[in-house]
Amino acid sequence: MSQIGLLLIHPAVTTSPELVVEAKAAAEQNSIKIADQFLINKVNEGSVKLKINTYNVIRYLTPEKREEIKFPKKLIGTLNDALKLGGCLYGLSDVYKIDAVVNGFEIIDEASKEYHWIKKQEIKTVPQAISLKSKSVSTADMGTKKLPSFKKAPLPSFKKAPLPTFKKASPEPKVIKAAVLADDLDDDLEDDEDDGVFSDSTKARYLDINNDDEDESIDEDDLVDGKTGNIAMIVCGKSKTKKKKACKDCTCGIKEEEEAEIDNIRSQQDKVVQFTEDELTEVDFTIDGKKVGGCGSCSLGDAFRCTGCPYLGLPAFKPGEAINLNSISDDL
Amino acid sequence: MSSTNKIAILYGSETGNSQDFATILSQKLQRLHFATTLLPLGDFNPNDILKVRYLFILVSTTGQGELPRNANETTIGSKKTLWSLLKKKNLPEGFLNHIQVAFFGLGDSSYPKFNFAVRKLHNRMVNQLGARELFDRLEADEQGMAGSNKGTGSGVEAVYFEYEKKIISLLKEKFPMMKDSQGNKINRTEIDTSLYLEPKSYLKLTGTLTEEKPIVNFVGDESVKFGKVVANNKLTAEDHFQDVRQFIFTNCEEPQKEIEYYPGDTALIYPCNFDHDVDAFLQNQDQWLSIADKPLEFTSGVPTSLQCIGGGIVQPLTLRNLLKYHIDIMSIPRTSFFMKIWQFATDVTRMERGQEQLDDQREKLKEFAYDEDMQELYDYCNRPRRSVFEILDDFLSIRLPWEYCLDYLPLIKPRSYSISSGPCDSNIELTMAVVKYRTILRKVRKGLCTTYLSELLVGDNTLRYKIQNNNLIKKELHDHPMILVGPGVGLAPLLSVIKTDNPVISQNIHLFFGCRFKDKDYLYGDKLEKWNSVGKISLHPVFSRDRENSPDTKYVQDVLWKLGPEMTDLLVNGKAVFFLCGTSGRMPLQVRLTVIEMLKKWGGFTDDESAKEFLKEMEKDGRYIQETW
Repeated sequence: MSQIGLLLIHPAVTTSPELVVEAKAAAEQNSIKIADQFLINKVNEGSVKLKINTYNVIRYLTPEKREEIKFPKKLIGTLNDALKLGGCLYGLSDVYKIDAVVNGFEIIDEASKEYHWIKKQEIKTVPQAISLKSKSVSTADMGTKKLPSFKKAPLPSFKKAPLPTFKKASPEPKVIKAAVLADDLDDDLEDDEDDGVFSDSTKARYLDINNDDEDESIDEDDLVDGKTGNIAMIVCGKSKTKKKKACKDCTCGIKEEEEAEIDNIRSQQDKVVQFTEDELTEVDFTIDGKKVGGCGSCSLGDAFRCTGCPYLGLPAFKPGEAINLNSISDDL
Repeated sequence: MSSTNKIAILYGSETGNSQDFATILSQKLQRLHFATTLLPLGDFNPNDILKVRYLFILVSTTGQGELPRNANETTIGSKKTLWSLLKKKNLPEGFLNHIQVAFFGLGDSSYPKFNFAVRKLHNRMVNQLGARELFDRLEADEQGMAGSNKGTGSGVEAVYFEYEKKIISLLKEKFPMMKDSQGNKINRTEIDTSLYLEPKSYLKLTGTLTEEKPIVNFVGDESVKFGKVVANNKLTAEDHFQDVRQFIFTNCEEPQKEIEYYPGDTALIYPCNFDHDVDAFLQNQDQWLSIADKPLEFTSGVPTSLQCIGGGIVQPLTLRNLLKYHIDIMSIPRTSFFMKIWQFATDVTRMERGQEQLDDQREKLKEFAYDEDMQELYDYCNRPRRSVFEILDDFLSIRLPWEYCLDYLPLIKPRSYSISSGPCDSNIELTMAVVKYRTILRKVRKGLCTTYLSELLVGDNTLRYKIQNNNLIKKELHDHPMILVGPGVGLAPLLSVIKTDNPVISQNIHLFFGCRFKDKDYLYGDKLEKWNSVGKISLHPVFSRDRENSPDTKYVQDVLWKLGPEMTDLLVNGKAVFFLCGTSGRMPLQVRLTVIEMLKKWGGFTDDESAKEFLKEMEKDGRYIQETW
């Protein structure tokens, strides 16, 4: 019995059609029948709708390197919908690990098999409340409002951008009362007192020393001799080395590098902000190699933009909206 | 400030890094239901040390190897601090033997006195006063060349998280149980990060009606004064990149009265935000608008974090006034800000892409809060110098509850500036450069305080300030020859030395001043040259980018070297005072190295060791003074 397959294609693959041929041949060998084949940007913009609960296998074809894959996150749920339970999704990577798990996939990363995701469950549409771990905890407004989980409704595309309607309330932040925190180790410490410890009253008389006479104080410079002595070393530093920041009076060249980077980013900004409104609405955020990056995150602000995004340094904006540099420019 | 908790987290912070780490530690321990006291070392009531059982000290080191000011001094009132108590000679050996302690030092190994502050505290408290160390202290190095992260390629945050992990695992092991609300012992659990920890004291509406336009006032700090602006002049040429100001003010109440201060003393300035920035913030958080001008009160007193800043609390207490005078909406936020606010990203109606975008924003904010790498946060906030306000503008899902704003938003801290006027002059004069620079963000970055000062008009009487007496030049050293070195605005405190006339501070003053161009940033050039011509000082100017006026020297140290024999003689035989001021970094190091070389060449010192030893002796006697910022 052959399995039903779907091939999703990154637009850039159109320049190397052999990839598609290879993928189809490989599918045939594994007795998978490729029933459909779509460009991912069509799916993303909503002009192609995927059938629900149809495919055993979905393969995403992209020329991008695994760790650099940019994929519209909102489609991950859509792909889950299109797969049958137990169906497999090939071609994405751990870049979207969280989205995979959130959308009901299990990640299969074993040496013996090709990396893929398996649809483990239908995505729940019921909201999940964040449960408190301790019953002793009382919260200010636990009430009935609950955190909604991720919605599975297909999300609007950029161009149309209709706001989805939400039945559930927004997540309400919960506040935990300060009083419940007051565990001051009262009892625990009673048996902790050593015999050798002076009583508080013995020590208390030293608290009254109330003169500012320097002669009564040690010279703090005598406390250091320039030797390090015993210090603890860190066991593992997982952090990457941060890019060094130039000193105030840098002479080693870092300052010039920083300046060059700023100039570079600013000239990129100058280029994009020259776009007319028409040009901007034409921008398809899902296609790599277009005037703007293919990550679909350009409009969301620097926190979501990629390293090379031409919009870096500009505020978040709405897709299709022309950027007015005059409103944000305040140059030296 | 008084505290009763048995776990105390005390910090000494110069730039705010140690404070942020201390705040993170406090948050994490509170989430494990450990009650903690979090205070600057200087504001911890020394008497409370007898109640403390677990003490965590996070302290940075100033350029001169000293404890930061907020570790050495109280904000308001009493001069007695924990450190001044612990330095008393007559304390018995076991004075701290009831305490278990762990230290975290934050330093920069490009300074010679790397992590001296934490070493001083450690040596005194553990080796001399018997505090029991939970584990060997950690010393973080900004450069990664020394200390606990030496050669690991890891930044200071990796050292902090190591410190945190050790503390948490020790405490959890020692105290696996906690009490629930009924007093029953239950297993210790962690409060979920999505719950906001309510601060001890927060804001609420008073319910009373507000008067018509009440006058803004500040209460709770007697030592803060109001100043009236007398002059605000630009000293640099119009086309020069840097805007340096002469800023003069007097005390509002007694404008003629002498004020006690001496060369090297500083004025502490409390800046505030501009109304248009406050308005923009309120537009962003428009749920605050309807109550922005309603009178508020604290549920249980002024929060300690606000008290520790000093300068008094604004009256009437309204959100608008808090935003203007106390909340630093233009500052670059730190990790602890994201830890506290990420769960307030709740507003889907402002999300163009709906729920998905809301979820993305929550996830990203949480990443900034909890990613131990801090790389993302660094790239997003620190490198481009992005402000709290700009972040809220990028993350429109954030809806902040005003009640707790003083807990999660950064607070405006005062800045200190060297005084340029002569001793006790009722006209207090500052010489300051307006901080302005660019990053990848289009909007130019501006220093809050210098911009605030530069925009104040003559006659304005709202400037809040305090005078800080630093006792930099000892009285008994007056009359000694003086070698003053201060490039750029380093000139500021030196002017005060030169203006000391009754009696004249010294008959033999050499001033080494450096700047870029003779006709652009030669601060007070005319005045200096006049003083030179009447013999008040011997002036040695140098211009680093001005070949014509400075053909063979560029920097102050070059001129020092050129006059090496004479200056060395003054230092060695003339018992001269050497006073070095200006920006920190390379300049003070270069000058120091030059002096060492001078001592070797002309001072009769045969090797590095003996020259350095001589310099150390000078420092001890107060003859080598360095004031850098």
